[in-house]
Amino acid sequence: MRRRVIGAVSGIATTMFLAGCATNAPQDTWKPKGPNAKIIDNLQKPVFAVAGIIGVIVTAVVITAVIKFRDKGQPIPHQSHGNPALEITLTIIPALILTVVGVFTFRTVFDLAKTSDTEMIINVTGQQWWWEYDYPVQNEYGITQPIITSGQLVIPAGTKVLLRETSRDVIHSYWIPALNGKRDAVPGRVHLNRIEADKPGIYAGQCTEFCGLSHANMRMEAIALSKADFAKWVANQLKPYTSPAENTLAKEGEAVFMNQCTRCHQVNGMKRADGTPVIAAPDENIVSGAAPNLSHLMSRNTFAGATFDLLNKTCRKEVWGADSESFGAKYLSGVSEDCLNQTDLRGWLRNAPGMKPMYSNPALLASTGGKYRGMPNLGLTESDIEKLVAYLLTLK
Amino acid sequence: MFSTGSKYFFGISFLGAISFAIYMFLIGESAIGATALLGLVVATGLLTALTLTTRDGAKDEDGVAASTAAPTGSIWPLIAAVGATLLLVGTITSPVVTLFGIVALLAALIEWTVLSWSERASSDVSYNASLRKRLLNPIEFPVLAAVGLGVVIFSFSRITLAVNKSVGATAFIVLGSLVLASGVLFSIRPNLKRGLVTAICVIGAVGIVAAGIAGAGAGVREELVLAQEEGHYVHQECGAEKSEYFDKLPLGGVSASASVAAHIDLVDGKLIATVQGIAGEQQSITVPRSNPTNIVFRNKSDGEYRLVANLGSKMVTDGVKEDVVQCTQLIPQGSDQMLTLNIPKPAVAGKPFTLTVPGLAGQSIEVIVP
Repeated sequence: MRRRVIGAVSGIATTMFLAGCATNAPQDTWKPKGPNAKIIDNLQKPVFAVAGIIGVIVTAVVITAVIKFRDKGQPIPHQSHGNPALEITLTIIPALILTVVGVFTFRTVFDLAKTSDTEMIINVTGQQWWWEYDYPVQNEYGITQPIITSGQLVIPAGTKVLLRETSRDVIHSYWIPALNGKRDAVPGRVHLNRIEADKPGIYAGQCTEFCGLSHANMRMEAIALSKADFAKWVANQLKPYTSPAENTLAKEGEAVFMNQCTRCHQVNGMKRADGTPVIAAPDENIVSGAAPNLSHLMSRNTFAGATFDLLNKTCRKEVWGADSESFGAKYLSGVSEDCLNQTDLRGWLRNAPGMKPMYSNPALLASTGGKYRGMPNLGLTESDIEKLVAYLLTLK
Repeated sequence: MFSTGSKYFFGISFLGAISFAIYMFLIGESAIGATALLGLVVATGLLTALTLTTRDGAKDEDGVAASTAAPTGSIWPLIAAVGATLLLVGTITSPVVTLFGIVALLAALIEWTVLSWSERASSDVSYNASLRKRLLNPIEFPVLAAVGLGVVIFSFSRITLAVNKSVGATAFIVLGSLVLASGVLFSIRPNLKRGLVTAICVIGAVGIVAAGIAGAGAGVREELVLAQEEGHYVHQECGAEKSEYFDKLPLGGVSASASVAAHIDLVDGKLIATVQGIAGEQQSITVPRSNPTNIVFRNKSDGEYRLVANLGSKMVTDGVKEDVVQCTQLIPQGSDQMLTLNIPKPAVAGKPFTLTVPGLAGQSIEVIVP
């Protein structure tokens, strides 16, 4: 029995230790890739060291006491109460340690809260279960009209970016470990969170405040581009909408999109046959009142709250594995037909709730007045899916 | 086989398991209720195992012999029957009736279970009675006190809504003084006859409840009925002129001091926006669609002004459109007020949303909704 317990404890400890050696861990909190994350890292490492040493000492003392003074049938030792000198010493030492840690913690908190030298603003809005990013007009970056996107936050590398976070439904928390600590997104409030990436690349994150059924699938990726590449990305996002050519599968897909998808999803610039703009009405269909804006969808690498890749495995590997020099060009090439992850996209269009848990069963929406949380199964035919995929590929 | 304590926990665990099965069968996909019931089953199951293993904590004893006396009479079966009836009646009448039924059923279930268990806990009847009190009194007393207090508060609210404002205030002062005086009397004369104390409490409670019933019967006072009919509380009057109702007590409004999307200042007749995190004065603010967004209007100009959000138009009936307008009250110089915008859709091209101040031409902040 005793051997089994020791074996089990050793096994768990070894597994936990080895888990720390993972190389492919994009959300590793110990690998900062920007100044804000480095500020946190400079605090957490010494604090972890101090806490670790104290933890080892306390554990050793406890184990020694348990083994040395275990019940061997000896008489109960003399019971003494009160040792002022020892008690005062044991109070002062932890208090001093905590004071030193507290001073550096406060300094870090104030350093991270600094916003006076902000260079770029992005509004970040959380909802079940995806993040929306909108870029207010900032002429110095060529953003002459607001840009709206989702799933992937695109920023210029080496730039102090201020995220103004809020939420449309419940509390979420935005955290890209390589770029900064986490910050809650709270309905009705605007919380500030500053990030900056040293080099171009992809930095992964995940919602860190439990927000419902698909909380674990509410991911985010920050894409840092060189300033020149960022300007290209902005220029592409501001390109006007182009309707597919007549008599093509994509044109038929546009019609399907207009009939089915624009109830919730907006594509900026899309117009009906009579020339009137198509304005989506997610506020009438979804609890949060918003669905991802799909303008320039294929300039992103992910969909469905960054849960699934738009790129197939081969192309994704090329983007994720690119060095900082070549990363921008690879990312800006977007998603071509050859690189499209057809399996997941078609699966999503076929039955979205089957791929990502969402409250979208029409029979269970009484408490929300018939409004969905997430995308429902639209019952599309295979022919419609074929057309839609062809159309979505044109949204570059 | 079962110890006295384990019977109790096993009973709850078994009941929880049945409830869980019924819940899953009737309601299905609700994770919260299923988790709660399953948690109850697991927790009481563990406690059953614990009490069985330790034989109710008795180290070398065989446990206490259970009582063989017949169960005493109880009112709880009757209350359970009434609860079940209300539950059924509620399904075809009103959710409130269902709620009363659920409350009655739950109360009966707990009381009856504990009573039945405690009566057989040992052969000592007085000990069994004390066991029941020890378990249930900490629940019964606060619940009864809360219900009693709720009834008194609700009754008194009916009185204040029915009578004149100043009469209501006077009644509140008088009643408070009487309660205080009674409390003082009870504390300085602890030997007062129990009957007298009971009589004072009962007369007071019955008096308030009776007055409350009378107040509810009389209805709310005329000015409140009039205000409701005329919609003083819902209709915002956003013009330059001062409204008799909407602009009443403008300084009573509460505005946020932090975490707002933008501050809109009226300085020397000029309208400017300051957005947290963006340096300098702005002439536009960006507001996410379908999201309650707080902005604060600060009047730093001489005179009374209001901020008006012009949010396009909406279709009210076929072919008839109505302007969507929101505004703050008229506020004097040096004061501020919050305005919450919730704009579901972007503006139609060529007709941007704006923030303006009535009576002040040429001043406008654009509201961009991406």
